[in-house]
Amino acid sequence: MEASKPKVGIFGLTGCAGDQLQILNCEDELLRLAQRLDIVDWVMARSNNDHLCRLDIAFVEGVVATERDLQSLKEVRARSKVLVALGTCAVWGGLPAMKNDIPRQTLEREVYGATPPPLDSVEALAPTEFVPFELQLPGCPIERREFLGAVNAIFAGTWPDLPRVPVCWECKGKENVCRVVHAQEVCCGAMTRAGCGARCPSHGVACAGCRGPIEEPNYDANITMFAGRGISWVEIARKMSHFSAPVWMTHGLEQEMRHEPKR
Amino acid sequence: MSQSARSIIIPHLGRVEGHGGIFVKIVGNTVHEVNMDIFEGSRYYEALLKGKHFLDVQGIITRVCAICSANHTVAALTALEEALGIKQSDRIHTLRGLLLLGATIESHALHVFALALPDFLGFDSVITMASKYPVEVAFALRLKQLGNRLQELVGGRAIHPINTLVGGFGRIPRHRDLHAIREELAAVLDPLMGTVELVGGLPIPAWASQPTVYVALRPYENAFRFRGVSICTSRGEEFPISSYRDVIREFTVEHSHAKHSALVSGETYMVGSLARLKLWGHLLGGRAREAFGRLFPDGVPDNVLLNNWAQLVELVHSVEHAVEVCDELLGMPEVDREMVDYEVRAGRGVGAIEVPRGTLFHEYELDDDGLVVSANVITPTAQNLANVERDLRSAVEKLLAPGEPIEDARLKLNLEMVARAYDPCISCSVHLTRLPG
Repeated sequence: MEASKPKVGIFGLTGCAGDQLQILNCEDELLRLAQRLDIVDWVMARSNNDHLCRLDIAFVEGVVATERDLQSLKEVRARSKVLVALGTCAVWGGLPAMKNDIPRQTLEREVYGATPPPLDSVEALAPTEFVPFELQLPGCPIERREFLGAVNAIFAGTWPDLPRVPVCWECKGKENVCRVVHAQEVCCGAMTRAGCGARCPSHGVACAGCRGPIEEPNYDANITMFAGRGISWVEIARKMSHFSAPVWMTHGLEQEMRHEPKR
Repeated sequence: MSQSARSIIIPHLGRVEGHGGIFVKIVGNTVHEVNMDIFEGSRYYEALLKGKHFLDVQGIITRVCAICSANHTVAALTALEEALGIKQSDRIHTLRGLLLLGATIESHALHVFALALPDFLGFDSVITMASKYPVEVAFALRLKQLGNRLQELVGGRAIHPINTLVGGFGRIPRHRDLHAIREELAAVLDPLMGTVELVGGLPIPAWASQPTVYVALRPYENAFRFRGVSICTSRGEEFPISSYRDVIREFTVEHSHAKHSALVSGETYMVGSLARLKLWGHLLGGRAREAFGRLFPDGVPDNVLLNNWAQLVELVHSVEHAVEVCDELLGMPEVDREMVDYEVRAGRGVGAIEVPRGTLFHEYELDDDGLVVSANVITPTAQNLANVERDLRSAVEKLLAPGEPIEDARLKLNLEMVARAYDPCISCSVHLTRLPG
């Protein structure tokens, strides 16, 4: 039986380790999972790891922010049959990619002072920009249910059915009060992939877009909708720039903002 | 003995959060160099915050680190509310406290049982440990889950809370949910005391002992608490929180992406559970007091390996205190939402709280429009790093002292145990830090 267990590796590049922690947070399933899988390489959870063997499934979280990250990513890709991107950082670049608007020298000076130590630091980008992935699970962090569903699907030799609808779809199902219509807030639900059960709007908080964009988000229509409710360009750009919108779009909004008188 | 050089290299420290390694160079019986290498990528969070609106700060800064996300959230909100002159209502103060207790239960349960204990029982991970100790591992997971569920109830999510806002909460937990989790918390106290007995029988090696300066916040009331009013050291000094930049000196070192810290005197120091017990252990009550007496019968010795057991004492305290806090909240009238009214204004605020790994500082300066002018975060792990290296050096010297040859594998394991005892959170430590105001 031992030989038939799939060999699994779990890896974190630069990030908050939240997606690996979500796996550890599957407390009810963790031990059963460990029985069905042969987890041979997981630095966060064990000390004697096999860093060379072939892997049937590998999970990668975080962004590429150092040369070392990129090298690790390529090594993992080369030894894995199925490579799964875990979380918004791995899929889209997430919050660490936000820093890319600021010149590297400025970042280093402001954080480490006039004489920064020798830093291994490159522009933060999603691993999906560098190597192909068989499956991508978004979320900041990932949803436990989606992770377990994906593992089961891979076991069964198929792929999980991930939601393609936006968060609004789940939000309406919960009969929440709309944050845009009733609270005049920039809620990114209409542009963001469902799967979280509309957690934020269900708590009376606008969606920040942490699961990344749906396949064809209509940014223009959303911006027009927000602006039509009297929300300033500044506020719209601010909210959308975290997770929802690609960098080119926020640059466009910044152009617009220049024409707007300061509040 | 010949003067041959020998290097101990742990390229990637396992069972810790984030990416770091240990490098030790020994010539003969003398330790020449000890580095805790931090190669986790820099993420420049404080620079990212510059120019952002204060309402966006929490959602960004929580993502410095997953396991500490609730702690960063509370520290950031405390600092921002001070900058804006917001006074927390009783309920909000109490609920934030409950969130911190949930975070502590989750973090300590994970570290004590899954990351540290395997070393003491002779396993390489909690998964292999489960084959011999199935009941204990299952209990630890249940406890960890309870900590997570507490964070979900208050913060809306176990990692990167979303329900926590400047001035209040999006949704206040329902009484029936509070009551249900209160009962579950009360039910784990007895089995938790059972693990205190299990751990109490394990020997603690002496090679990790070394006199250390400890730093922790003075609790805001005369009891063991994770929020405080001033910075205290084990040498009897006391400083206001607002002067933290004068108390803690940060500096960069070549081998680390994380800054190191020392006191103004140049001495390194330790923050965390052991420091809190050293300074405030006498304030513990109830079962936590019992656990403290069982695990520290002669006071708190200078041995960092005991930080693992200090966390266990705090686990008992956190579960016990969470029951009391639930009762307190159940005594308040039930409401859907609670937000304090405030006006946006310029200001500066410092938030300092005791989190699982030690004292965490957040500071923000806002302009008239509520935009961040400067941000500063000093994490416990960054404060501890210099002391970790000091302890690693001392441990190697003590292990080499008897003159008998010691294998690399044993040296490595023992060094890993020292580093792990600090429960380092490397993601947190690399983010870093001061923006000119």
